[in-house]
Amino acid sequence: MSQANLSNSTEIAAHDQILHFPKGGKPNLAPNEWLIWNGSQDEGGLPDLEHGKQNVLVPFAWWAQHYQESDIQSKTKAGHIGVWFAADDDILKHAELIEEGKKIWPLVAAHFPIFRDGRSFSTAALLRDRFQWTGEVRAIGDVLIDQLLQGARVGFDSFALRPDQKTDVALKQFDLFSVTTQNSWRDKRATLSKLSV
Amino acid sequence: MYKYDHIDQTLVDQRVAQFRDQVARRLDGSLAEEEFRPLRLQNGLYHQRHAYMLRVAIPYGLFNSNQLRAMALIAKKYDRGYGHFTTRQNIQYNWVTLEDTPDILAELAKVEMHAIQTSGNCIRNITSDAFAGVAGDEYVDPRPICELLRQWSTLHPEFAHLPRKFKFAINGAKEDRTILLCHDVGIELKKNTNGELIADIYAGGGMGRTPILGSLIKTGLPWQLLPSYLTALLRVYNRFGRRDNLYKARIKILVKALSPEEFARQVEGEWLFNKDSDVNFTQAEWDRVAKHFTKPAYLSLAKLSDQQVINTASEAERASFARWLERNVKPHQVPGYASVILSLKPHGSVAPGDATTAQMLAIADLADQYSFGELRATHEQNLVLADVEQSKLHELWQEAKKQKVALPNIGLLTDIIACPGGDFCSLANAKSLPIAKAIQERFDDLDYLFDLGDISLNISGCINSCGHHHVGNIGVLGVDKDGEEWYQITLGGEQGNDAAIGKVIGPSFYADEIPDVITNVINTYVNHRNEDESFIDAYRRIGVAPFKEAAYKNAKKKEKAEIAGDAS
Ligand code: HEM
Ligand code: SF4
Repeated sequence: MSQANLSNSTEIAAHDQILHFPKGGKPNLAPNEWLIWNGSQDEGGLPDLEHGKQNVLVPFAWWAQHYQESDIQSKTKAGHIGVWFAADDDILKHAELIEEGKKIWPLVAAHFPIFRDGRSFSTAALLRDRFQWTGEVRAIGDVLIDQLLQGARVGFDSFALRPDQKTDVALKQFDLFSVTTQNSWRDKRATLSKLSV
Repeated sequence: MYKYDHIDQTLVDQRVAQFRDQVARRLDGSLAEEEFRPLRLQNGLYHQRHAYMLRVAIPYGLFNSNQLRAMALIAKKYDRGYGHFTTRQNIQYNWVTLEDTPDILAELAKVEMHAIQTSGNCIRNITSDAFAGVAGDEYVDPRPICELLRQWSTLHPEFAHLPRKFKFAINGAKEDRTILLCHDVGIELKKNTNGELIADIYAGGGMGRTPILGSLIKTGLPWQLLPSYLTALLRVYNRFGRRDNLYKARIKILVKALSPEEFARQVEGEWLFNKDSDVNFTQAEWDRVAKHFTKPAYLSLAKLSDQQVINTASEAERASFARWLERNVKPHQVPGYASVILSLKPHGSVAPGDATTAQMLAIADLADQYSFGELRATHEQNLVLADVEQSKLHELWQEAKKQKVALPNIGLLTDIIACPGGDFCSLANAKSLPIAKAIQERFDDLDYLFDLGDISLNISGCINSCGHHHVGNIGVLGVDKDGEEWYQITLGGEQGNDAAIGKVIGPSFYADEIPDVITNVINTYVNHRNEDESFIDAYRRIGVAPFKEAAYKNAKKKEKAEIAGDAS
């Protein structure tokens, strides 16, 4: 990651605005209401949700260890906790937890440790295809403008861009292509529907 | 030949616009070089020793005369008047600028060409048999599958940032002319007993630092299911391929670490979930694509015997014409036709695979005149006119001679495969082109070359193996020792159905020793061969020892090499 974390070191830095691109909708910007906690323990567990942002994305591995704790359960019930998957999390090994999570997480995310690590593209594809996840899936970490299109097509519908990225350029990325030659989460391949043209 | 529909054209045009914007952001500084790098690589743009290099895709090696003219004019306008046909059936320009690249891509788009995924850690340009659709030994024309998979892989979002590059080859003939087993995935097309098109899948082959031949992981896959199966395969690789070490990131390392059986099992497990989905190909898609690969308007001609063809030349020309027929002309499926290989390896050439603007323009005309306007690039870095009337071979030969592409050295010792090496490539440890040239100069006698028969000699400037040295009967690899250029020799490599990886024979040599070393190796073959025995067969019979001894015959030089501390 070429950008140092801008805020405190227990967070994964992101632009203060989130780029949303709902399936079937238009890309838009909204304030980022979620803290992305990296799981570091030096603050003694979850970060402070009383001041500042009230919602937190916790590492999935941390969730797997702590979800039964009563504090976590009540915060989850109130809709304040979601999880993020690290690039090397094998989500298929945790199918049960994820099935349970579908009912209680308002948001899940997949992390890009560096922009050219494409594992989270497959994670998002699995969340959509295999787990039939219908809620929001956010790309976090080293998320750059030129990855948005691929992310949007595999199943991401929100993007926590790296803080140095220009949101005006980012917003335009989704109109670059009007045709595709393979299926994606959003659309079937153009060559399938327009065979006669 | 495939013709773009408006979807293909729109995609390529929009890709040009996307890349133009990325270049603009790079030039105004808002995109850092580190972040631009994978983007430009996915558009075939490398930064090399002297300049930018642009690799343009020639999907499965097939192109037409208009496209060749465009390639020729790009060489003239944006480069130094030549292009370089590569071992992956693409063309490279060595002297382009970043600023010009969007314009070059726009010119390519006008003739249905692009540079998408010719580099980078994504699915690369798919290669296939240069004689697809015409080869006498073909059981399935692979081109519709090549084209369907080209479309499927183009800008595939999930596999845009794989652990490493990913190369497909597709074969449908009895003889493998694609080095199927040296690819990340090799697809062998066949017909089952009901006449249905099926595929066998090989995975985990490759050259480079750790050469490995691919393993058979799936048999009898119905062609329609290729996208779901390959998605599963790539998904396993994307998730579990090693990203911690560049040298261990290719799929071959994963397949080896897991074992081919376990890898196949994991792919199968993943495949269960999407094998019935609509990612798969439909018959309608096949029909749309396959109609472009129907046979051209062949005349109904009588098949001519070799002698009849030879007799079309004047008596004075017959001996050299017959030689060309023997080496550069291949049998065809259709009576009265033949396929012609134009050699891009004239002796003393600058670089194997190079063609000048003037040559490209002239060859485009030859394609129009003699071969329905179509051409193919071979992985041996030559060009093919696939559909030539036998009765016109003599005329074509004379035209080809004028362009210096008629040397009858196909498959012979001087039909050298060589990467650009230290003259152009920034990864090189040593030069390859001067070595190729020195070997061609040493073995300039065509009678002798003919007598030696089939021998492949491949040269790479570094262990990345772009020059395929591992599968050359004789391989030459540039290595670096204390800042000096050395060359390591491998013997016994082979492409084709009996593909094999060559073995290093011992300490490396200096550049100026190589012609002598090759001469000694060749002499050993000549001394030991049985009648009609090829180099590789003789090598397999007598083993490496006599060749090795001959190669190191010059004790003084051997000593030098050992002092340099090079081990085998
Ligand atoms: C001039 C700049 C070039 C660069 C920077 C470059 C880069 C590389 C690299 C890094 C590899 C490593 C393979 C590995 O071990 O994973 C490689 C292999 C390869 N490249 Fe190149 N290359 C260049 C030119 C070429 C040319 C001119 C050709 C064809 C003539 C070519 C075709 C190939 C092929 C066929 C391989 C084979 C290895 C395999 O299949 O595993 N490359 N190249
Ligand atoms: S083998 Fe090495 S020197 Fe030759 S082109 Fe490939 S990377 Fe460059």
